[in-house]
Amino acid sequence: MSLLMLYLLLAKATVTSFSGTTSFPVIRHDFVEHYHQLTDRQLNAAIVAGQAAPGPNGLYIVSVGYFVAGVPGGCAGMLAVITPPFLIIPMLQFLGRWADKPRVQSALRAVTIAAAGLVLSTMLPLARDALNGPLPLAIAVASFAFLLVKQQSTVLVIAAAALAGLAGQLLS
Amino acid sequence: MLDEPVAVERPTLYRIFLTYLRLANLTFGGGDAIMAAIHTELVTARKWLSQEGYAISYALARITPGTNVLAFCAGSAWKIRAWPGAIAAVLAASVPAGVVVILLTAGYGALQSSAAARAAIAGTLAASVAMMGTAACNLLRPYLDRRRWVPAVVIAGTSFGLLQWSAMTPIGVLGLAAVTGIIWRIPE
Repeated sequence: MSLLMLYLLLAKATVTSFSGTTSFPVIRHDFVEHYHQLTDRQLNAAIVAGQAAPGPNGLYIVSVGYFVAGVPGGCAGMLAVITPPFLIIPMLQFLGRWADKPRVQSALRAVTIAAAGLVLSTMLPLARDALNGPLPLAIAVASFAFLLVKQQSTVLVIAAAALAGLAGQLLS
Repeated sequence: MLDEPVAVERPTLYRIFLTYLRLANLTFGGGDAIMAAIHTELVTARKWLSQEGYAISYALARITPGTNVLAFCAGSAWKIRAWPGAIAAVLAASVPAGVVVILLTAGYGALQSSAAARAAIAGTLAASVAMMGTAACNLLRPYLDRRRWVPAVVIAGTSFGLLQWSAMTPIGVLGLAAVTGIIWRIPE
């Protein structure tokens, strides 16, 4: 896959999402199902890398680019992440009042709600790949319960999950 | 339109870069915490940005495609120093973390030969599934109140089903949801 194609596919995912992780279903559809450039395991690892880093959500796209084409692919991913946010500038210039229209707001709410359904649907194949025994299942359930209460503790959860996986290996 | 100058002096691009670098990469708590920190520093303390400039950037960042907090950085810094300010802020907020992501991904590949590392990575992949589940819950949770739970359940359930059992692409599902939201008004 050429870098331009990689950038365009990643940008297609970021430009059609309205928060960090809602690009995920589009990414999986294109890179795992359609072009077979990525496995579910690599996509899952990309999410871990994105969540473990500081800064904004959504940087897992950089990791996806790296998996597909190394450092140049990571740069293409970076470019795909930073391009759509600049659309706010023409919006600031021309669309300030339009954003408050009730129907526009309602459409955006519907897109956000739909994204929740899409993320859940896309999560299933990753769960089938990653939750392949009692220990991973226990780690996932404990992580889910913890994150529901302490939403911003992803780095802590990743570190604890790595330690639990390591402990499971040492004890088996 | 750019903000009326509220600060005594116009900040240099270098100062804008350093400020957004620190606020976006060293503030824990996700996008809302970063935007709150930017309010404290740029509106209240440094007075680079007016309250109105902050508010419109915040509102439009919510409906700008891509990562909300990066759109907010672009919009708020554009209010301060036009396009050069916006570019400096977005690069400061994203590139250092992007480099960390590349290093972590490279580390993932390099660690595959060690059994212990593979076990640790398997643990993180299980946690990642939980993160996706939590992300979906967090997207849906605000809409599960008395006035909106019906459209929330119908739209989320239909989206789930369409992606799972039909040939529709995710973008097609999102487009259908947008049209549904225009026709079926979801209250604020």
